[in-house]
Amino acid sequence: MEYLYDHYSAALLGVVARIIKKEELAEEILQDVFLKIWDRIDTYDASKGKLFTWMLNIARNQAIDKTRSKEFSKSKKTDDIENLVSKVDRQDYTELQVEGIGLQEVLKQLPEDQRFVIDHHYLKGYTQAEMSEEFNLPLGTVKTRMRLAMKELRNLLKIT
Amino acid sequence: MNVEAYISSGILEAYALGELTEQERAEVEKNLALYPALQKELALIEETQEKFLMKAGVQPRATVKARLFAAIDAQKSETKIVELHEPDSTLSFWRMAAAASIAVALITSYLAFNYWNKWKDTESNLTELIAQNQRIAQDYNTVNKRLDGIEKDLKITNNPAFNRVVMKGTPNSPASLASVYWNESTKEVYLSIQEMKQLSQENQYQLWAIIDGKPVDAGVFDGNLAGLLKMKEIPSGAKTFAVTIEPRGGKTSPTLETMQVVGNVVKG
Repeated sequence: MEYLYDHYSAALLGVVARIIKKEELAEEILQDVFLKIWDRIDTYDASKGKLFTWMLNIARNQAIDKTRSKEFSKSKKTDDIENLVSKVDRQDYTELQVEGIGLQEVLKQLPEDQRFVIDHHYLKGYTQAEMSEEFNLPLGTVKTRMRLAMKELRNLLKIT
Repeated sequence: MNVEAYISSGILEAYALGELTEQERAEVEKNLALYPALQKELALIEETQEKFLMKAGVQPRATVKARLFAAIDAQKSETKIVELHEPDSTLSFWRMAAAASIAVALITSYLAFNYWNKWKDTESNLTELIAQNQRIAQDYNTVNKRLDGIEKDLKITNNPAFNRVVMKGTPNSPASLASVYWNESTKEVYLSIQEMKQLSQENQYQLWAIIDGKPVDAGVFDGNLAGLLKMKEIPSGAKTFAVTIEPRGGKTSPTLETMQVVGNVVKG
């Protein structure tokens, strides 16, 4: 469990923080996420995917549940987009921004439309359906772009 | 199924992103099990996602870790009762409880059956042993009684106060042979049969002592006698002992024609 935490807490907090956008609350959720992981680790089935994907889904769901249950709402998310993106990826989060180095370099190498889906999904916490709705894009287009972006990322991250 | 088209649809990405409904997930998982190519593609997508998000990670403060492990330790000691507040956990708790109950019931049944079998075995073994024990006890009693008899007889036959009178077969029954042990001072008489033929139910042997030429009744006996038989007391003065065949119960005077064995007293 400690190994999992040391290895994945930053990546998971990255995901949670980009959805929640509040450091304190995000860290609280991160704790809940790890408690859930600890509680349900025996239900993880390796044949259905990587451990990280499984943990990622727990983290995303936990964070999204939070946004739905509390003061968060879609409109707020939309309104704050510009601020938050810049916040997370500029200076307000600097004390947390340790492993983010190189992220911007990777993103810059993606074509504009691919960077958009990756950015909105991974860094802004949108689901594909939400993107389609929010930006008037057909869902199929979002999916295709996401697929191409993932393929491109694969090359950029040198995964073979 | 066209694997290429399936991959191109981007459904694996959606799967990795956790954006599918339960039904869609189940569908994908079914296909994954069928097509190794899908597994390979999904693994690449997942790895890309993981590597990308690792880069996008945000290091939590050290206090988060300390709090988390304190919470885990607390949960460990509280067991899972805490989780009962969550509806889905409640379900899984009851499911676990039911599974545990069934497991316990199965194990208990098996043990009960096992123990019942062993108990039955033990019971039959015990019955057998008790019967065997009774048999041995009976044998022991029989042997013990015989030994007692032999010891008693031995005391008499070894006692010099007893005079042994050997009575040999008469022409009526040359093969017959019997002895009398007579203590002249105490008047005790014991009979020992070496060889006497079997008699019919109506008849019995009768022992006589001849004192001063007159027969004196010393008691009746059957032919199938083992060991020494105490007879009637005979006072001193007897010169001869003899056995006749008489009606059951004996007579007051002997039927001399039926005399079987006879022997004189030899003073030691």
